Amino acid sequence: MTHDEAARDWSRRLARAWAWLAGLTGLSLVAVLGFGQVEAGAAAAAVALAASYFKARLVLHHFLDLRRADAGWRGFFAAMLAAILGGLMVAYLIPAF
Amino acid sequence: MTDATETGQGWGALSSLPGNPIMWVLIISELLVFGAFFLGFGGARLFEPEVFRAGQARLDIALGGANTLILVSSGWLAAKAVQAAHDGRVAASRRFLAAAGALGVAFLAVKGVEYADKAAHGIGIETDTFWTLFYLMTGFHAMHVVMGIIVLAIVGWRFSAENIETGTAFWHMVDLIWLILFPIVYLVR
Repeated sequence: MTHDEAARDWSRRLARAWAWLAGLTGLSLVAVLGFGQVEAGAAAAAVALAASYFKARLVLHHFLDLRRADAGWRGFFAAMLAAILGGLMVAYLIPAF
Repeated sequence: MTDATETGQGWGALSSLPGNPIMWVLIISELLVFGAFFLGFGGARLFEPEVFRAGQARLDIALGGANTLILVSSGWLAAKAVQAAHDGRVAASRRFLAAAGALGVAFLAVKGVEYADKAAHGIGIETDTFWTLFYLMTGFHAMHVVMGIIVLAIVGWRFSAENIETGTAFWHMVDLIWLILFPIVYLVR
């Protein structure tokens, strides 16, 4: 094991990641339910997809410890997530044209 | 987490990733497969927006949100299991794994309630394009949850810090997929 992080710091970091994950989930729900579950609208969709991006990165960085990988791998995963979620945002916006 | 470089194995670029390189190959593969699924879902929505709108209106956002909170909490417990294993606290690590797995069962129970409700309303995989994709994506993910629970049980039984790390990496991957699936299917409409 190479994890030289102090136990208390490690626990706090994981707890903070969980709190962010729960908070961002709540933000997504508020953004969408605020529109009465009929049409979320582009803004709410953007909030939900952006929250999903940040949540996925939290899981990768803190639960899967990707933060200790080199910048190339971190960039690869960030790009993959951005491609999937960005592609879906574009697909969402197309009918509005 | 252990590094592939520590074991002296030649994994090339994968050596700089924390944990078991093969698990990262699986994570990347799963992200690509589900990513294609998700983009296909977004593309199909362009051709039948009304069908998708009607289908999504019948989804229970509260149940989906509850399942999201269940899975991220389970992921946190799984990460705590790795920390406990690293500290040599075997019993604590096993307790965290058991709690993570129990939340996985809770996820499946909520999903079962959701599927039962849809079945009671005559909605099935062949109802229309939306429901076909809904059942394929959520069903495929649920199968991963089942496999993840089995993996957590196995690494808890055959305990070693490396096994815990590898098994929980699979669980985090299942969590990761849901975090993308949930907004796409339930929220963005």
